[in-house]
Amino acid sequence: MVRDITLGQYFPGNSPLHRMDPRAKIVLLVAFIVFIFVGQNFYALALMTVSVLAVVVMTGVPAGMYFKSLKMILFVILFTAVLNLFYGSGQVLWQWGFLRITQGGVNNAIFIAVRIASLILISSSLTFTTSPTDLTDGLERLLKPLTVFHIKVHDLAMMMTIALRFVPTLLEETDKIMSAQKARGADMESGGLIQRVKALIPILVPLFVSSFRRAYDLAMAMECRCYRGGQGRTRMKQLHLTAVDVWAVVLTAAVCAGVILLNIFMPSIWA
Amino acid sequence: MEEFIRAEQVRFVYEAEEGASEVLKGIDLTIGKGEFVALLGHNGSGKSTLAKLFNGMLLPTSGRVLVQGIDTADEENKYEVRRRVGLVQQNPDNQLVASIVEEDVAFGPENLGIAPDEIRRRVDDALRAVEMYEYRASAPYKLSGGQKQRVAIAGIIAMEPACIVLDEPTAMLDPRGREEVLRTIQKLNREKGITVVLITHYMDEAVLAGRVVVMDGGNILMQGTPQEVFSQVEMLKTHQLDVPQSTELIYRLRSCGYDVPEEVLNEQECAAALTRLLTEYGAPRQDSPLQ
Repeated sequence: MVRDITLGQYFPGNSPLHRMDPRAKIVLLVAFIVFIFVGQNFYALALMTVSVLAVVVMTGVPAGMYFKSLKMILFVILFTAVLNLFYGSGQVLWQWGFLRITQGGVNNAIFIAVRIASLILISSSLTFTTSPTDLTDGLERLLKPLTVFHIKVHDLAMMMTIALRFVPTLLEETDKIMSAQKARGADMESGGLIQRVKALIPILVPLFVSSFRRAYDLAMAMECRCYRGGQGRTRMKQLHLTAVDVWAVVLTAAVCAGVILLNIFMPSIWA
Repeated sequence: MEEFIRAEQVRFVYEAEEGASEVLKGIDLTIGKGEFVALLGHNGSGKSTLAKLFNGMLLPTSGRVLVQGIDTADEENKYEVRRRVGLVQQNPDNQLVASIVEEDVAFGPENLGIAPDEIRRRVDDALRAVEMYEYRASAPYKLSGGQKQRVAIAGIIAMEPACIVLDEPTAMLDPRGREEVLRTIQKLNREKGITVVLITHYMDEAVLAGRVVVMDGGNILMQGTPQEVFSQVEMLKTHQLDVPQSTELIYRLRSCGYDVPEEVLNEQECAAALTRLLTEYGAPRQDSPLQ
C-alpha cells in the first residue's frame, strides 16, 4: 500500500524536452507559470493552453500519466471553479435565493480551472522528463548566485539528493515494519481517526530509530569518500546549453510576447 | 614485501561510554602492499574498530597508525589517507549517496576535485572492474544486495586507492551476493594489485586470503597462512571461534585415528581426502558420491 506513492515520476525518453538542459527547463517553467496567470482575456488564455498542450504532446509521455496527475488535483479544480461561479458581477444568468450565477462568475470559473490544469500539466512535463538528479543539479547551479547571501546552496542540493535517494529505501522499510507489527497483532485498519493515528506510533518509532542509524552510516561512508562540502568539488556530468535549449527559449519568448500583445490589444474580461 | 599499513602499539577506547573498557589493547600489525589479509574474530573482538583506524576514521587513543609512512592522526593529510585506504561498510544500502549508479560511483572522485573527463574514465573503469557497467544508469534500490555492495566497492575504487578495507561486506547478503562480492574482491587483489583487508566472521571467507589474522578481546590471537591458522583447531575452539566445516570434519576424522591430511581448507580438498580414505578402506573408486 505504501508503494503506491510515486515520487520523482521520471519517464526516460529521448524527446526534445528530455534533451534540454535542466536549468533551461526550470527557468522556462517559471516563465510559463507566470504567463499562465498574466493572460487577461480568453485569447491569451487559449494561447497559453495551446502552448502547454503542445509541450505536453512533445514530451512523448503517455497521456495517462498526465491524467493521473490531473486526477489527484481534480477536487481542488472543481471546488475552486464552483466557488468562483457564485462570485463576480455582470449579467445574472441564474438565481436561487441568495445564490446567483453571473457572466463574470462563469468567466472566473473557466479561467481558474484552465489555469490550474495548465499549471499541473506544465509542471508534470518537467518532472516527467527530468531525472531527480538532473533536477537537483540544475537547481544547485541556478541558485549558485545565492551563495553571496550566505545561503548554503550546495548543502541544500546535497540534502535533496540524499532525500530522493532514500525515499524508496524508507518506503520499503515502512512496509517491512508494518508487516512486522501486523504479525504481532497490531490493528491499523479499524477504529476512528484518533485510534488510527495512535496505531502509527509503533511504525514511526522503529522507522525513526533506523533512519538515525542509516544517517550515521551514510555520514561515515561520505567521509570515507573524502566528502568535505561543496568546496573544491567537481562534477562528472557537465551541463551544456544546446540548440534545443535555444529553440525552447525562443519559442517560449514568442508565446510570452503573444500573451502580452493580446493583453494590450484585446479587452480584459475584468474590464 | 613493501610495507603499506603499520599499526604500532595501538590502543583504543570509545570515549562516549563512561568507564568503557579498552576495545584494542596494543595491536602491532603490518600489512604489506598487494597483500590479501583476512581479519577474523567474533563480535566485540575489536576488528571493526581496527578497520576504522586503518583509514583514519577513528584515531588511536595511544600508539599510531601509519599509511605508507603518513600518520593517520596528521590532520593535514586526513583526506590523503582516506583516498589511499578506502573503507567499504557492511550495509550496502547505507553507503550509496546518489539515485543513479554511475553518479554514486562518481561521488568520491568528485570530492577529490578531479576533472570531469577523468572522472568519467574512472567511473567506467571501476564499474567494469566490479562487473556492474551494464547497470550504470539504474537506480540503486532496484539492485540486489550483492549488486549494491559491488557498486559500493566501485565507488571506493574510483578514488584509485592502493588499499581497500572491507568491514564485513557480506554479512547482510544472500549466498549468491556473497559469492559475487568475494569474487570481485579476489579479482581486484589479483588483477589490480590492490591491497585488501577483509574483515569477516565467516571462516570460509578467511580461507581465501593470503594471511589470516585472528583477533580476540582486543588482541591479536594468532596469525599466519590459512593452513597454519586453521590447523590449530583446539586453539580456535577454546576461543569460541569456528573453523571451516571441511576442516572441522577432517579434524574429527583425524582425532578418531583416520589417516587424513592435516591441512584441509575447502570442499574440494576435503572431497579428495575422503575419496582417498574410502578407496583405502575398499570402497569403489567409481560411482563415488564424492566425485
